[in-house]
Amino acid sequence: MESVGKRKHKFSKPLLWVVLSVVAIIQIFPLVWLVDFSLASSNEMFTSGLLIIPEKIQWGNYAKAFVDGHFLLYLKNSILINGLAVLIVIAVSIMAGFACRRMKWKLSGFVKTLLLLGMMIPIHATLLPNYKIYNMLGLTDTIWALLIPYVAFSLPQGLFLMTSFMESIPVELEEAAVMDGCGIYRIIFQIITPMLKSSIATVAIMTFLNNWNEFMMASTYLSSPKWKTLPFSVLEFTGQYSSNYAVQFAVMALTAAPAVIVYIILNKHITKGVAMGAVKG
Amino acid sequence: MKKLYSNKLVILSLVLPGVLLFIFAILAPICLSVYYGFTDYSGMGSFSFIGFENYKKLMTDEAFWMSLRNSLLLAIGFICIQHPLALIVAAVLDKLGGRAESFFRCVYFIPNVISVAVIAYLWKFIYNPDFGLLNNIIKAFGGKGGTNWFSSDKAIWAVLVVLIWHGFGWGMLIYYTGIKNIDPVLYEAASIDGADQKTTFLKITLPLMKPVIQVNVTMAVISALKQMETVYLLTNGGPGNSTQFAANYLYQQAFKAFKYGYGNAIGVIFIIICLVTTVVLNKIFAEREGRRARRIREGL
Repeated sequence: MESVGKRKHKFSKPLLWVVLSVVAIIQIFPLVWLVDFSLASSNEMFTSGLLIIPEKIQWGNYAKAFVDGHFLLYLKNSILINGLAVLIVIAVSIMAGFACRRMKWKLSGFVKTLLLLGMMIPIHATLLPNYKIYNMLGLTDTIWALLIPYVAFSLPQGLFLMTSFMESIPVELEEAAVMDGCGIYRIIFQIITPMLKSSIATVAIMTFLNNWNEFMMASTYLSSPKWKTLPFSVLEFTGQYSSNYAVQFAVMALTAAPAVIVYIILNKHITKGVAMGAVKG
Repeated sequence: MKKLYSNKLVILSLVLPGVLLFIFAILAPICLSVYYGFTDYSGMGSFSFIGFENYKKLMTDEAFWMSLRNSLLLAIGFICIQHPLALIVAAVLDKLGGRAESFFRCVYFIPNVISVAVIAYLWKFIYNPDFGLLNNIIKAFGGKGGTNWFSSDKAIWAVLVVLIWHGFGWGMLIYYTGIKNIDPVLYEAASIDGADQKTTFLKITLPLMKPVIQVNVTMAVISALKQMETVYLLTNGGPGNSTQFAANYLYQQAFKAFKYGYGNAIGVIFIIICLVTTVVLNKIFAEREGRRARRIREGL
């Protein structure tokens, strides 16, 4: 990426800046507007100006959003469920990837294709039957109702990325390990896994991005607040404070904040991960 | 080594978790959908088998066709508006260099990390006739304002704008990565030959980006088909069914209209449409690639 610097001449820089800035404003202004309105009081909103300068900054909006939006509970649930989903996706996709790519058995190609098929199935078509299944098994309103589909629908991409990265690991390494008396499990977890670091990061980022903001399955399979995730702060709030717009703006800004902050801090890694994941996937 | 690598029990233990997940979360539900698709089940109580009745009804269901039309419109919007813009912005961004480049890249992607729940409600407010941002912008430019953007003739466009806006950063990032992977030597050669920026873009960037564009277009079409969350919160398919999408429609039929059997029949057709579209698009692009490769070979 360093050599890129060489080819940035001969273009009128000001024009470049104008184009990029206009697009940036279109992409980011709605969010600035959101934060701005979240700090005003509801009465101030009916202006014709684009932004409001609040007479008094209404931090109380955020206090209400924080408490009545169950922010801490839902954030904790989101982190726990997504963290577990990421760990399981990584472990399962490395194991299955190794078996399908490296080991010798007749059905390896078939099983791999089968598992990758999941990529083509629209998630939302499984909402109705899965609701029935989880209901019958008593899984609704448990953590499993989210973990199982989150892992299952992130697995194909994980498997795809893991197998394509595994190809670049030399077989000689494993041969040496076998000579030393290593078993398959030790080869996978002590030799292969550490070499897959960058693809593990990619899979983790993609899985997190896919599931962090998911709410369709969550609102279908869950009814009590016990395992509800962050998007529910917003979903439940609109009914509760239907006329207090400012507080609704605050809860939206608050729920968006964790992901945006983490993204800005890890910007480089996430960009790289998405780029790698999306181009390969 | 060979013996160790073909130990059936070890293999089974490695693939079993993945296979079980696939069966339990994807295959079993699909089978169940096929089963319920042949019934008049309402969601509770008893039901009977009615053969292909649901599927016959679906063929003349205007709301279903409307949802496919909307997916098509969305796909066209992605391909004709979002992607050309994303590609051009990516190419321009690539020329910028330095800290500004990573700043803009970061800004463009931010909407993508925000929950659809927030995005949908935010845009509901932006479209609000009383204090919405959009009407205020129009007023600032001397317009009248007070427009109801969710009226039956405008709603679908309002929805498309949100979706095109939200996915822009993702498309941009993928094109950007593709452009970064182009060998800089080619650009140097072009500038030595005296090519201007436009020619360079058309003759070097665009042709080399072809595979990336194809992948992106395929994903755009599929995501247009699968669209549900934003529409569910923004308009829930209304007014009427003017902003209906297949996934939202089957959900409504099953859980709101208590036609669980019918909803599942829609689900089955929906899955088939997604599978066929993916396969067909991949085939078309693979064939094109093959033809091009052949042409190049023959030319040599």
